[in-house]
Amino acid sequence: MTLQECYAALGGDYDEVIGRLRSERMVQKFVLRFLDDKSYELLCGAMESGNYEEAFRAAHTIKGVCQNLSFTMLGRSSSALSEALRGGYTPEADALAEQVKAEYQQTAQAIRAFQEAAAG
Amino acid sequence: MKNKTTRFLLGSLIGVVLLCVGVFTFFSLHMSAQSSRAINEVGTLYMSRMSQQTSSHFDSIISLQMGQLRSLADTITTAGIHEDPELQEELIVQAKARDFDYLGFCGNDGSIRMIYGSQVAVSDPGPFLVSLGKDQQKVAIGTNARGEKVVLLGMPSPFPSSEEHDCVALVAGLPVDYISDNLTLEENSERAYSYIIRKDGSFVIRSADAYRNSYFERVRVSYESINGMTPEEYIQELSAAMAQEADYSNEFEMGGERYHLYCAHLPYSEWYLITFMPYGSMDSVINSFTRQWAGLAMLSAAVILAALLLVFFKYFQLTRAQLREVEEARRAAEAAQKEAEHANRAKSEFLSNMSHDIRTPMNAIVGMTAIATANIDNSKQVQNCLKKITLSSKHLLGLINDVLDMSKIESGKMTLNLDQVSLREVVDGIVSICQPQVKAKKQQFDVFIHDISTENVLCDSVRLNQVLLNLLSNAIKFTPEGGEIHMALYEEESPKGANFVRIHMQVKDTGIGMSNQFMEHIFDSFAREDSARVHRTEGTGLGMAITKFIVVDAMGGSIDVKSRQGQGTEFSVTLDLEKAEVMEEDMILPNWNMLVVDDDRQLCESTVASLSSIGVSAEWALDGENALSMVMKRHNRGDDYQIILLDWKLPGMDGIATARRIREEIGANAPILLISAYDWGEIEHDAREAGITGFIAKPLFKSTLFNSLRQFTDMPEAEEEQAAEKTRDLTGKRVLLAEDNELNWEIANELLSEEGLVLDWAENGQICVEMLEKSPVGYYEAVLMDVRMPIMGGYEATQVIRTLDRADRDLPIIAMTADAFAEDVKRALDCGMNAHIAKPIDVREVMRLLAKYIK
Repeated sequence: MTLQECYAALGGDYDEVIGRLRSERMVQKFVLRFLDDKSYELLCGAMESGNYEEAFRAAHTIKGVCQNLSFTMLGRSSSALSEALRGGYTPEADALAEQVKAEYQQTAQAIRAFQEAAAG
Repeated sequence: MKNKTTRFLLGSLIGVVLLCVGVFTFFSLHMSAQSSRAINEVGTLYMSRMSQQTSSHFDSIISLQMGQLRSLADTITTAGIHEDPELQEELIVQAKARDFDYLGFCGNDGSIRMIYGSQVAVSDPGPFLVSLGKDQQKVAIGTNARGEKVVLLGMPSPFPSSEEHDCVALVAGLPVDYISDNLTLEENSERAYSYIIRKDGSFVIRSADAYRNSYFERVRVSYESINGMTPEEYIQELSAAMAQEADYSNEFEMGGERYHLYCAHLPYSEWYLITFMPYGSMDSVINSFTRQWAGLAMLSAAVILAALLLVFFKYFQLTRAQLREVEEARRAAEAAQKEAEHANRAKSEFLSNMSHDIRTPMNAIVGMTAIATANIDNSKQVQNCLKKITLSSKHLLGLINDVLDMSKIESGKMTLNLDQVSLREVVDGIVSICQPQVKAKKQQFDVFIHDISTENVLCDSVRLNQVLLNLLSNAIKFTPEGGEIHMALYEEESPKGANFVRIHMQVKDTGIGMSNQFMEHIFDSFAREDSARVHRTEGTGLGMAITKFIVVDAMGGSIDVKSRQGQGTEFSVTLDLEKAEVMEEDMILPNWNMLVVDDDRQLCESTVASLSSIGVSAEWALDGENALSMVMKRHNRGDDYQIILLDWKLPGMDGIATARRIREEIGANAPILLISAYDWGEIEHDAREAGITGFIAKPLFKSTLFNSLRQFTDMPEAEEEQAAEKTRDLTGKRVLLAEDNELNWEIANELLSEEGLVLDWAENGQICVEMLEKSPVGYYEAVLMDVRMPIMGGYEATQVIRTLDRADRDLPIIAMTADAFAEDVKRALDCGMNAHIAKPIDVREVMRLLAKYIK
């Protein structure tokens, strides 16, 4: 699996990221680092415990990371979630959080597949 | 309620006034009665004293004379007095020495035998003789031979009687004047006077004006009133008092004046002294006192009344004001209610209009989606459907945008975002947006710009664009194919002062125009002319309402519309905008000779003026033929135009033909530029062939001219500057990056390190502030600041940094955030940040901004 294929699988914009980060090596390094980022766990925990302020910040961070890595799909849903949580809890937040979770899993899966391919 | 209060106030006012007047009248009357009683008492007292004085005076006078008479009588010792002439002679001498006018002996029959003086007779001998017989001294009145009155003093003495005479007493006479003079009965004619009367009222001594014989007679005739008694009653009372020899006092009125009288018995006689005093003198004292008192009373009454009136008046006013307030409040409430009802109705209408307007494109979308789904394999059909869906979506989006604007306007949340705006850029932008539509409808589109002295103004460019775009798109929409659309922009001095400039914008078309009725409602929400000619509803009907709000309410300008059905419409917008402080780069071009050719004289003149302001001397011509001859003339002189600007559309010979002729004459040296409001893509080929060097787009602002012509100079300084900015070396500059996410930090670090920057990482705002505080001044050249961070966010951190006590507290701080709304940008700048960059990180943008802000 190439990096390009990985981007297609996780709904990202490979051309855009390569335009900004300039080298495939750099993109690959940061994409793999994405799995180590703790923001997602933070988001899940905060949503469960009802700490919506922290959930907002976590969603916002995920959005920022996704923008930097051009993970368009996850970036969009996390952006929507952060907007839903910006002024505190709103009823849309739960559904959006589910969407973020699903898309995060999809993204993480794609990256892991790429990781395995790169290692193998 | 108003009437009731007024009535109550008026009633109580009258009541209080009446009470006041009554009380003071009572006091006045009471005081007046008191004072008249006092006068009476004072009068009685005074008169009794005076009478006593008079009578004691009388007593002393008579006693004196009696004494004289007694000493005279004592000389008579012999009975032969009656016959002895010597003795009589002696008596006469003695009597004369004692000032007696008469002297004689009185017989017991009352006859007087005179020793000296003429014969006198006693007027009323009865009582005189009775008294003498009782051996009492007595005074009486007698008359002499001439009928004059004489006061007679009788001194009983035991004289030896002669045969012929039974002598009982020695009688001496004095003239009446002696008594009245000594008693000074008419003391002070204007004040008091006295009579002496007998019991029967007859006068003994009287003043000149009392010509009658009896006082009683005078009473009956002259007295007008006597203290409520008839004259007879008074006479009876007086007689009774005289009979008892008691003092008597009373008062009466005569000749319009009030008098006080006092009657007292005189000793040695049957006489009574009756004294009169007019009240006038006494009255005047007491009256003035009473008057003063009454005056004071009236004054105090007036003062109290005035005070009361004032209080009532004030109270009345207060009540009125309260009533008015209540009334006003009621009216205000009514007005508010009406307004609320109106707003409610407007809202309902708005909603019903909205739902209709939204449903139309929505139906199209739903329908087309259904058709596309049904024909999913027919790609042509699907494409067609998608095209329609796109159109409807765009329409819907426009509608929603307008509605959002409208609701912003209605809730008062639409604020202007003032920024430096280049009118040239605004017009350029508008023209390029409108051109596709204009081309599609084959309309003729002209833009006229003249007298633009200030190109950069402070304005909300988005809203200004919105206004112009709305006016232009309306003009395009309602002008049939092949019609004309005309946009003009010019400036003049603003009445608001030297810092302002007045901008006129006109959009004129030869379209279908409007009816007069519709013109009145053009600025209302959801206004659309319902007529056969406007069958398709395009747009939301909110555009003009929003336009008017932006121009008039938000920007403080004015908007006018002139229109005639079938002939066209003209909108004029006037705005007073503040001049922007621009550091206008020195726009100076070499002193070229230029020629401007355009069939619009105004454009020629304003272009020539603009050119001369940037150092170019230019001439102009209105058509190709003239232009050619001017070029020829110059060429023959060997002084060619260095650059020629040529309009494409010219009367007669058009721009391209003119260019061709000029090239034939002067060769390929001087650049020839084609002026056009349109993109020259269609004609470029022909133009190039004709020898035209380039293209210059209308409108011809000063900056447009400068930027287009600069390429023909030998000094491309501006470009050099730009290049310098791009390649400015920031190697080794130390930048602090505040970012809570490690991955983001790593990406930024990696990218920016490659550009030569040295980055330090702060995990949140607080750490960022601490690191900055610990570093030496000037250690960090700039801060890149994430906004959303735990513990302390970017806004707060910036505010803290800006208030630090350090020389480098105003170092550049650039926000880097995933929020990219206009509000976020504004908030970042409001907090004191220098600039705002939206994520994802764009190295070029970051480097450009760092280069701009790092000194």
